[in-house]
Amino acid sequence: MKNWWKILSVFLMLYTLIAGFLIPLKPGIYDFNPRKITIGESSPIAILINTYNTRLDEANENNVYLKTPADNLLKASRLEVKSSNEVIAHFEIPGLIKDFNTKEESLTLIVDNELDGYSFYPDAINVIIGNTDPLLENEYSSLNEIKEVEKFAFPYRLILYETIRNTFFHVAIWFSMFILLIYSCYHSVRYLITKDLDSDSRSSSLTTVALFFGIAGILTGSMWARYTWGTFWTTDIKLNMSATALLVYFAYWFLRSSISDIDTRARIAAVYNIFAFVCLMILVMVIPRFTDSLHPGNGGNPALGGEDLDNTLRTIFYPAIIGYTLLGLWMAQLQYRYSLIKDRALGY
Amino acid sequence: MDARDKQSLLASLLYLVTITFVIFKVFGDIQGPTRIGIYWVLLLFTAVNIVSGCFGTNASKRKLYHYQLYDSLEIYLAKLITNFSKVFIAGLVLIVLFRVFSDTGLKDPVLFLKTLVLSTLGLVAGMTFISSLTIYSSNQGSLLSILALPLLIPVLMIGMKVSLVSENMFFDTAVDSNLLMLLGIDIIMLVMGMVFISITWKA
Repeated sequence: MKNWWKILSVFLMLYTLIAGFLIPLKPGIYDFNPRKITIGESSPIAILINTYNTRLDEANENNVYLKTPADNLLKASRLEVKSSNEVIAHFEIPGLIKDFNTKEESLTLIVDNELDGYSFYPDAINVIIGNTDPLLENEYSSLNEIKEVEKFAFPYRLILYETIRNTFFHVAIWFSMFILLIYSCYHSVRYLITKDLDSDSRSSSLTTVALFFGIAGILTGSMWARYTWGTFWTTDIKLNMSATALLVYFAYWFLRSSISDIDTRARIAAVYNIFAFVCLMILVMVIPRFTDSLHPGNGGNPALGGEDLDNTLRTIFYPAIIGYTLLGLWMAQLQYRYSLIKDRALGY
Repeated sequence: MDARDKQSLLASLLYLVTITFVIFKVFGDIQGPTRIGIYWVLLLFTAVNIVSGCFGTNASKRKLYHYQLYDSLEIYLAKLITNFSKVFIAGLVLIVLFRVFSDTGLKDPVLFLKTLVLSTLGLVAGMTFISSLTIYSSNQGSLLSILALPLLIPVLMIGMKVSLVSENMFFDTAVDSNLLMLLGIDIIMLVMGMVFISITWKA
């Protein structure tokens, strides 16, 4: 079958859309109050916890813990489950907490039950040691008591929350844009070697589609920034570099339209395309790594690996890249055919 | 070869003096990072001004003559050297102008000059090459700025950063690596220009 890749692209796009939107997020802790407690003064301590995507009311055994720096767990003595996503945890902490180096320490909050598994909020609650009785001992649980439930869900990340799904759109679109640009560069080089005008039209249609993808990537990125960083546009280095990259390719377009002779146009456009691609690499890949950036992979942030892209995300992310790239190739092919027809109509 | 066009350099320098004068009259005394920013923007526009004419002003007959006489690489290097010295002179003049108008000198002249040399080289190498592309189009001047400015932003940004460091406006231990990076970009620009000039120039 000749057009298998078009069908594959449609299938992958559908897969990305459906799976990307329907797979739930892992449970997590959304909010809690108070954020600062003093032990030894007002015991017991009540903490109101709002969770996300949990089934606290259906679970048989809910537990709330505070984790100390050396992995000792303080268990809540009593829980009031308000709804599926709301619980009040009462702690009784009579004595000094073990392994406190200073008088003040931030403890990690953990909620778990047998249905959802555990969810945690690192360095959540700031604990200050008040007038505790040095003779009293607290009871501690170990990490083994925490229940783990394996299920297929996207990771729950603070700040990102549901917007982590944008990985399949924003990041994947940019990836495939780069693949299209590389392919377009290949055609430009081919034109310079063979002087075959066919390669030139292919290269130009690929660049047009890549430019379109670039705009789509900027728009999705801007929406993402609105919900995570607070504004549509930040002064982040990578954003400005990407905008510049788009300017470069708009300029390519202008260059093409300003030269009337076909052969000259093809030659100049091919040279500029290669030149621009190398500069684009410097712009987007090299420069941002020298300065601080909010993007992963820059300024010490982790990139595509470790915690940011877990296996659940990968199962959608990589097919999404392939899907977008095939879609882009398809669009470029249509654009190329259109230019062929137009040239024929003009009598070339 | 290009030395005949002395008046064009003088015109660019006059342009530089005028625009600096206007800017200092409008803004009053400029200090801090803005000063460096304005310095580089002024230098950039002067460079566009200087470089944009370099391939185009040749009358077509003279071009034919050059075409027979020289290799395209020689032409490129010759243009590069003249443009570089012109823009570099403009940069020096700009330093003097800033000194005259705002009465504060450079804090680390050596580092500043190093940056000036390297970034000027990068700017000129990129622009000279791109101006050889624009000779085929009808509106050369504006096309050069559209094509070249986005491509030269990395050079400009690193240059600006290092010169801020040289003015003690912020501290960065990675100055040397930034300079090396600048040199690397310069080399990439030069090599690409040398490779492609034979394709673009022969028409």
